[in-house]
Amino acid sequence: MQFHVQQAARSLILLGFSVFIYMLHFTGKIYLFINPKYLLLSQAAAFLFLLLFFIQITRVWTIKGTHDHDSCSHVGECCSHDDHHDHFHDHGTTPFSAKKLVSYLIIVLPLLSGFMLPAKVLDSAIADKKGAMLSIAGSSKSGQSRQVTSETKEQADNPGTGDATQPPEESDYQAGQDTDIPEGTETATGYENQMTDEEYNKKIEELEKGTIIFNDSIYSSYYEEISSNIDKFQGRKVSLYGFVYKEEGFAEDQLVVSRFLVTHCVADAGIIGFLSEFPDAATIEKDMWIKIEGVIETGSYMDTPIPLVKVSKWEITEEPEVPYLYPVTIKRN
Amino acid sequence: MIRLIRSNLLDITGFAVILAFLMLLSLGMGFQSKLEVPSSILNLNTIFLSILIEAFPFVLIGVLIAGMIQIFVTEEHISRWIPKNKYLAIVMSCSVGALFPACECGIVPIIRRLVGKGVPIAAAIGFMLTGPLINPIVIASTYMAFGNDFKIAALRMGLGFAIAIIVAFMVGMIFKGTQFKKSTSLHVHSHSGKQSFLEKFWAMLQHSIDEFFDMAKYLIIGAFLAAMVQTYMPAKTLLEIGSGAASSLAVMMGLAFFLSLCSEADAFIGASFSSIFPSTSILGFLIFGPMIDLKNTLIMMSVFRFKFVMTVLALVAGTVFTILMLFGGML
Repeated sequence: MQFHVQQAARSLILLGFSVFIYMLHFTGKIYLFINPKYLLLSQAAAFLFLLLFFIQITRVWTIKGTHDHDSCSHVGECCSHDDHHDHFHDHGTTPFSAKKLVSYLIIVLPLLSGFMLPAKVLDSAIADKKGAMLSIAGSSKSGQSRQVTSETKEQADNPGTGDATQPPEESDYQAGQDTDIPEGTETATGYENQMTDEEYNKKIEELEKGTIIFNDSIYSSYYEEISSNIDKFQGRKVSLYGFVYKEEGFAEDQLVVSRFLVTHCVADAGIIGFLSEFPDAATIEKDMWIKIEGVIETGSYMDTPIPLVKVSKWEITEEPEVPYLYPVTIKRN
Repeated sequence: MIRLIRSNLLDITGFAVILAFLMLLSLGMGFQSKLEVPSSILNLNTIFLSILIEAFPFVLIGVLIAGMIQIFVTEEHISRWIPKNKYLAIVMSCSVGALFPACECGIVPIIRRLVGKGVPIAAAIGFMLTGPLINPIVIASTYMAFGNDFKIAALRMGLGFAIAIIVAFMVGMIFKGTQFKKSTSLHVHSHSGKQSFLEKFWAMLQHSIDEFFDMAKYLIIGAFLAAMVQTYMPAKTLLEIGSGAASSLAVMMGLAFFLSLCSEADAFIGASFSSIFPSTSILGFLIFGPMIDLKNTLIMMSVFRFKFVMTVLALVAGTVFTILMLFGGML
């Protein structure tokens, strides 16, 4: 009987990864890492880790003599790297060295930091590093150029005022009717952001009339529409919420009400948000969650026109349970 | 008594490992509330872990497939297919590589075997370049990473294949012979065919574990570096270094080389840069990375001559850069 320390360490690591992923799923923290669309895939990974753990555990003890066959898997042609095991492929049977200690430490690092440090919601510091304003201006810019090439010349005929634009007064009137919309529609879905073609089209139609209410499931689609066609939405009333982002070069009364849009995992989170203007802005701290109501106008950032919200009403809100937005997936029937 | 322990050893070991783990877990959880960590570290950690969580399913699937190939497919199977004509052999080997799902960690030992058995060095290099780059898992993960858009995935495969063929032709013109560092003896294990299917399958799973541990450290280093870049390097700086088409392509190719990511997972990291860089640069990242990177270069140097490895590296970098600059305008 022989006890293999390295094999035991490996089984511990495999179990660790499995438990770590399962734990994130059970505590709901997984939403702070990945788009719920990939929940199943990540559960599959946790399961595979568990399976590999059960296989690895059989290699911890070997009977002397037969060890080569049991633990080294020298089956058939598998060992195309038989000359230098330790370089190409480590079966965990070669003697322990400082080099191996380093590689085990590297593998253990995410487990240690995962269990010991709390998961954090990305904040405005990351938004700054990701170039928040650049991407806001970018999405508006790319939208504009797309507009020029794809939209009919109807647009060119009525410069400044798109045909769908409603005078502000009319908007206000309609807004009065729309305040009946239940608050519930604004809460985060928290689950896979999936909807059918019909539902999606209905939501996009809603964009054409009344106050534009941003709820999480449609936020990114509305955002895209508006920033690619600012003129059309000029003067429309909007109601939205997000965390406060500020950057050097902003005026005293300016801030961005922003959200992170997560396509897969938070590493690919992009910033979307609306530059907002109101006198109280100077007093509001970064990373606070606020809800605003106001009217869309055209602002600019580094000579690129971007939507600007003139805020008439604002209040502090709680950070939602699922702080991120996910792009809409259209479900085909 | 001893026999009793021995027969239940597996259960006991499993139990002990789980117990040890739970102890560590509760210890770690205790820390969580006490530890005062700057928020930028927490941001870094969250991004780092999210890349890993997202990449693990793909890495594990890749490792399992690699394990299956190592056990069930012999190098003879592949070399039997390679034609005698040198140029035909290159096209052939690139195509085989495209069908053969492999990761860059596992492919160097295989090409060493192939070259040892008389496959022309150029064909082997073609196989090495397309193997990790073009395969179903990479296609699937690239497709998903770019918001279910097939364009980037298709361009990655198409241009990648063309580049691999060009590089392999050039290698064929410059180099003859095996290019091995020293005369490496290739002793073949002769107990193939003796194992039952179950034994082979078991060995395959064990092989997958070893493969995972080989790859995991490179993946973790890569995820950590990528998270560092995101947390501490302002996008504006990166934009300034890589503001032109050529320099942004160079920046992304350099990033791909030093991150040394697995081709199964790099699409997710490449996608995270797509708001900052044009798609030509992103393609440079996606094509150059799987073909050759830091860890792959190191592994190659333990088999091939230094001069050969450096030439291949330069050829790949030069060709990827030139092709993408030429095609960049059309994208």
